[in-house]
Amino acid sequence: MERPHGNETWKEWIGAHGPRLLLCARQWTRSLADAEDVLQEAFVRFWRHQRDLPGDPQALLLVSIRRAALDLARRNDRRLAREQRADGGLEETVTLFARLPGEGDERRQEIEAALGRLPDEQREVLVLKIWQELRFEQIGELLGISPNTAASRYRYALTALRTQLEPLCHG
Amino acid sequence: MDESLQELENELKRLRPQSLPDPLLQRLERELGAVQAPRRYTTATSLRSWKWAGWSLAGAAMVALGVFAVSLSRTGTATRAAHGAPVVAATSHPSPVANRYEPVRASSVLYELKDDGATYLPDQTPGRQVRYRYVDTYTWKNPATKASLKWSVPRDEVRLVQASLD
Repeated sequence: MERPHGNETWKEWIGAHGPRLLLCARQWTRSLADAEDVLQEAFVRFWRHQRDLPGDPQALLLVSIRRAALDLARRNDRRLAREQRADGGLEETVTLFARLPGEGDERRQEIEAALGRLPDEQREVLVLKIWQELRFEQIGELLGISPNTAASRYRYALTALRTQLEPLCHG
Repeated sequence: MDESLQELENELKRLRPQSLPDPLLQRLERELGAVQAPRRYTTATSLRSWKWAGWSLAGAAMVALGVFAVSLSRTGTATRAAHGAPVVAATSHPSPVANRYEPVRASSVLYELKDDGATYLPDQTPGRQVRYRYVDTYTWKNPATKASLKWSVPRDEVRLVQASLD
């Protein structure tokens, strides 16, 4: 993710990177509304105060989004949180991905449903790897786990997805 | 990774996350609509930064401390010589130049960013007070003895920024 350059507007920047950041935020929150809130909080802080700081803006924003999501979760009612987690994390039927051009929508829906059934810790690694294009070292640093653990979770996630999607492919 | 996992990975990569919803963009517009061109931050590694002035002052203080230590030790040697004690340490003391510490590194870590709330700017326009909390770390090294000295100093920087009128 490139650093915002001098004459780039926040609209151009968020237009290019916002969808992937929102997808990540969604992995760490219990609803799309919460994900939007934490993305807004992190992005406004980044754009106003942090965009000229040294370092990787992508890492800075992801850390900020994750921290805001954790703070929000702590503020929420614990009982409600337990109930929603028991539903499997991504409890909403919100479409995460755009429809693929020229193709039916069935496959995308199947993938989204399979993603929703993954354990949280596997899904977050998968999302960071596939759609944020982070290396395992970066994922490990962000999540506080070793790169090897990140790689294992990624492999487990892909294997689980394949298991869930294969019967649909061949059936 | 086997071939089927590779295929699945490629299939996932083809999926594009949904665009940001309009209500979120409108909220961002309200927050950021009035933000002007980016401010340029000075960093501890910038030669023009004011922090280097402080660093130079601290270096000068270290040199003064070194000179003072040397003169003190010479006084002690002279006293011992006057009392008939053997003068053995006089040649082993480093000269003031050898005792000089030179700045070798400076870093600045921002560890907290806090909005202190609404306030008025000097021109009486509404603004917000934002507090940046840093830890500045300076390292000096004595090239003669290879000894090093490290200072970590907390620093708060308060900035007044123009408030959005939305």
